[in-house]
Amino acid sequence: MSGEAPVVRAVNLVKIYQTGGVPVPAVRGVDLTVEAGEFVAIMGPSGSGKSTLIHMLGGLDSRTSGEIWLDGTRADTLSESAWAVLRREKIGFVFQFFNLVANMTVADNVELPALLGGASPRQARERREYLLGELGLADRAEASPAQLSGGEQQRVALARALANHPRLLLADEPTGNLDSRNTRDVLRLLGQVHRQGQTIVMVTHDARVASMADRVVSLLDGQIADDGAIPRVRRRGGGSAGDVVELHG
Amino acid sequence: MRQPLLALLAKEPAHGYELKQALETIFGSAYPSPNIGQIYVTLGRLEKDGYVRSVDVEQANRPNKKVYYITAAGLEALQTWVEEPTEGPRVRDEFFMKLVLAPMTGLSDRMALVNRQRRHYLALMRDLRELAERTDPANRVALLLIEGAMLHLQADLDWLERCQEELP
Amino acid sequence: MITTRTAELRWIRADLRARRGQAALTILTVAGIVAALIIGATLLEDGTNPWRGLFERSNSAHIWIHSKDVPDVSALRRLRGVTDIAGPYRSAPATLVTGNRRVPITLQESPAALPAVARPLLREGRWLDVHAPNGVVVERSFARALGLHPGSPFTVTGLNGATHRLTVAGLAESGDQGFYPEWTPGLAWTLAQTLTLVEPAPGRTEMVTGLRLADPADTDLVVQRAVFTLRNQVQRVTTWREVRASMELDNRLLGLLLALFGGAGLVAAALALTNAAGGRVLMQLRDIATLKSLGFTRGQVVRMLVAEHGTLGLLGIAVGAVVARLITAYAMGEAVVVPLSAGPLAAILAGASLTVLVAVLIPAWRGGRTPPIPAAPAVPPRGHLSRLARIALLVRLPPALVLGARDSFTRRTPAVLTVCGVAIPMMMITIGLGCWATLDDFKQHPESVGQAAALTIRPGELTIEEARQRAMADPDVVAVYPGAELDALVPWQTRTVRTRALGQSSDPYPFPVVEGRMFADRGEAVAGQGLLDLLGVQIGDRVRVTIGGTPLIVRIVGRVVEPEQDGEVLSLGVDSLAAKDAEPPQFYALVLRPGADAAQVRARLQRQGLEVTQAVNPADRLAVIRVIIVALVVVLALIGLASLLTASALGLRDHALDLAVLKAMGLTPRQVMATLATATGLPAAVGVLLGAAAGAAASGWLIDLEGRGSGVGAGIGRAPAPGMLAATLLIAVGAALLVALIPARRAARAQVPVTAR
Repeated sequence: MSGEAPVVRAVNLVKIYQTGGVPVPAVRGVDLTVEAGEFVAIMGPSGSGKSTLIHMLGGLDSRTSGEIWLDGTRADTLSESAWAVLRREKIGFVFQFFNLVANMTVADNVELPALLGGASPRQARERREYLLGELGLADRAEASPAQLSGGEQQRVALARALANHPRLLLADEPTGNLDSRNTRDVLRLLGQVHRQGQTIVMVTHDARVASMADRVVSLLDGQIADDGAIPRVRRRGGGSAGDVVELHG
Repeated sequence: MRQPLLALLAKEPAHGYELKQALETIFGSAYPSPNIGQIYVTLGRLEKDGYVRSVDVEQANRPNKKVYYITAAGLEALQTWVEEPTEGPRVRDEFFMKLVLAPMTGLSDRMALVNRQRRHYLALMRDLRELAERTDPANRVALLLIEGAMLHLQADLDWLERCQEELP
Repeated sequence: MITTRTAELRWIRADLRARRGQAALTILTVAGIVAALIIGATLLEDGTNPWRGLFERSNSAHIWIHSKDVPDVSALRRLRGVTDIAGPYRSAPATLVTGNRRVPITLQESPAALPAVARPLLREGRWLDVHAPNGVVVERSFARALGLHPGSPFTVTGLNGATHRLTVAGLAESGDQGFYPEWTPGLAWTLAQTLTLVEPAPGRTEMVTGLRLADPADTDLVVQRAVFTLRNQVQRVTTWREVRASMELDNRLLGLLLALFGGAGLVAAALALTNAAGGRVLMQLRDIATLKSLGFTRGQVVRMLVAEHGTLGLLGIAVGAVVARLITAYAMGEAVVVPLSAGPLAAILAGASLTVLVAVLIPAWRGGRTPPIPAAPAVPPRGHLSRLARIALLVRLPPALVLGARDSFTRRTPAVLTVCGVAIPMMMITIGLGCWATLDDFKQHPESVGQAAALTIRPGELTIEEARQRAMADPDVVAVYPGAELDALVPWQTRTVRTRALGQSSDPYPFPVVEGRMFADRGEAVAGQGLLDLLGVQIGDRVRVTIGGTPLIVRIVGRVVEPEQDGEVLSLGVDSLAAKDAEPPQFYALVLRPGADAAQVRARLQRQGLEVTQAVNPADRLAVIRVIIVALVVVLALIGLASLLTASALGLRDHALDLAVLKAMGLTPRQVMATLATATGLPAAVGVLLGAAAGAAASGWLIDLEGRGSGVGAGIGRAPAPGMLAATLLIAVGAALLVALIPARRAARAQVPVTAR
């Protein structure tokens, strides 16, 4: 995949909210490049602008200044509807509160983006059956979201985000509302799709979740404080992870 | 190491190698695997203190092996250990010393320190996660131990964040 | 693009399935309003233009050919466009004698078995019977004018002077000729043998033949061909157009009133839809945000919402149209024969569809503007004490009421929506009551609409002076005014206007003057609004008219309420006319003693040989409006209730969190209930009061506006009767509180939710 344009390239991205006439900067000049197949975690304290950043990358929020390039195309100048079309073709979103469409069945929720992307109903159904099967939810296809547990809902949301083979999966605190068991399930799935080559940008404050990523971007006050790969730990003796526990013993 | 060995001997008499194996099965790979020599040294000290005594058992074609028994004094010491409350970990973090003192020397700036440390913590976290994935899901003790370590790491990372926000 | 539609359709289907009941309610509301409108319009059309119904039901002929001899029927039948033939029937002129009156009448032969084409519609009594040849069937309006009933004996005199005693066997209506006295002579159907008896000379009878056409538009062409075919035999021809014209009432006021109610109904429909759609959109803002994050564009969201809610509305319109058709066809089969004609029906349907789309567009646009960030569930604003709540505190109301008052206006937009959602139907209801009061006023005070005289007498066979004497002799008659009605030519107009001379300038008839003053001298006149508008003149202007060939300059000194001729009537004293037009007077207008029964007086005077006509009160012609008022009030009340329910449901959703807090604070269930009920009930009550006040203020003005537009003129509008208004207010506020109370009660008794969501 080398030689391709990066999946995401943000140049000097700035977002300033107007709150009661007072400008409140949320993102202050962020440069970020994500190559195809990368898994980037964005961390930072609350209010550091990480949600705003990921919303801007997905076109959910408009940028104040700066450039956003998706897959080699400039996106920040797009209109709201053009963004919507771009989203349905190239971006999958996973949110903290799952955000399944309440009055649609699980099957409909997963098929919706495929249909929106131009797939035929049959293609959409096949894709949905495959995804739900992979996520172990094949038997819940006709259930309504309210009948599912939080973890199941988030897995459905993940299936929905992946329905269109998006170039980019954006996740905003995907485990923020889950207990540890469900968190583990969702993480395993994220790891799986990443291994299959999926590019992922994920906002999280959970270090367990962030440690899934190849690379961590730390935001502080709307600026990137750190951006780099998570190193491999050099273990003494090269055997067990026992040292890790001892460190805190 | 003294009390765990006493506890295992209170369950049943055993020789040194059996004790090492018991520790490994119970705590799994999450716990540092003990050195057999270290176990024998500890057992020797316990015997000197009168907490255990040993009996030689003859073996065919092999040197005699020592089987250890717990004594009444040993049981009493074990009882005291079990009943007294355990201290939590104290924050005497080496990194915190670096973070406060290093900038004064001009050798490094705090941002770089924090970032390096965060990456390291995340790397540790990844190790723990991978360890947990490798661990037999039936081994609750081992998994809980790993989760405890993860939660400590998360706390460290949160603290790191606070340090970054608060220290100029 | 087609598959993108699939995604939209999928969502619409899912949403509709999730709220079947609500969707059905929306359809029913719209259907109810549309059905009420169509039925109202049908009744109105039938009432103001009875011709269509009669023509259709009697399967009448479009063309009637009067010829000396029996025409060549087969030649007529062969004419292109002719589908059927009625007759030919013999017909003979005669004179009817009843009491002291002699009235011209046409006798027309008819078979004993009712014919298929041009079949008279028997209304009372029975049809002709060969075993009772003396029994004839009389056209109903004619019989009414003469006071004939089934069984009444009467005498006819043929042209040869011989008299024959006949009996009224039955009364029938027909679409073949107009009503008496607009269409003379009156008509009676007799058996052929009876006709021969009255008029034995074949030379004095004529043959009438009816042609029924495939397409009424071909009338003129067929008339030409028929006249050509029959060469010189044709004496005269009448067509359906003349009959229709003679039956039509001036219906501008009715039309305007219906338009007013149509407008009200459409506003109500719009409100119902906006409320339903708006409430729904408000509830699913999160889902809409999610859809946008999935890649739905703003346009798609708007389109989806318009499609969903618009379909419900259009479905409602379709259902309403079908239901109205069924009701008029089956439930009202007696009263209404012909469905609404295409024009008004199309207008109602198009208006309703347009309203639906506009009503749906607003919430849809609002939904489309939802930002695509499906944030955490919205937290209701933590309310500060609203000014209202502070007042409530000041006057030391119980704490539950204060809390409720605080809640009710914390969220501005929903509160305003609730107030409007209740106020607008309430305003419409009040205007409806105002119309009702106006009709009552017409009825109770006919003098205020120019009908001080309940009866008009014409001398008939008597001299005018005898007629006056006899009328004055009746104990119930208090005043008699000589009168004449003439057509006047006015400048710049190609048509004539009605001039009504009534009373002397020194002793004028009590016209209801609402502006200026009554005429008090020769050369002065008063006019209706319609005439002022027609001529573009104002009170105080001089107008030159030509009456009966005599030029006359009159000064218009006042404006009267004028329900006739669309207000295009000039009224003056008989002494203002030229002597040849004024003497003798054509008729006398009789003012009766208050409380006298006009029908009884009329019957007495008829027995005296006078020809008496009874004034038709405009309220009687507008009676159909009352039906529409009742129907609309019911529908509007339902709409008000629906928007209350929406408000109350939304309010409860918002207050789900507060509920736990309130209970934790130690409020008893009763207090919680009171708080919630106040929160919803207060804006509703405010809405009721505002709506009633606005309606009361607007109704008089609006009706006067209608009056002005219709030519009757301002000055007829009445505010709703205080008692009626008070009762309505009480019922409305009571209903509002009740609607607020029921869900509040349920919520107050429910377990405190552990987590709100």
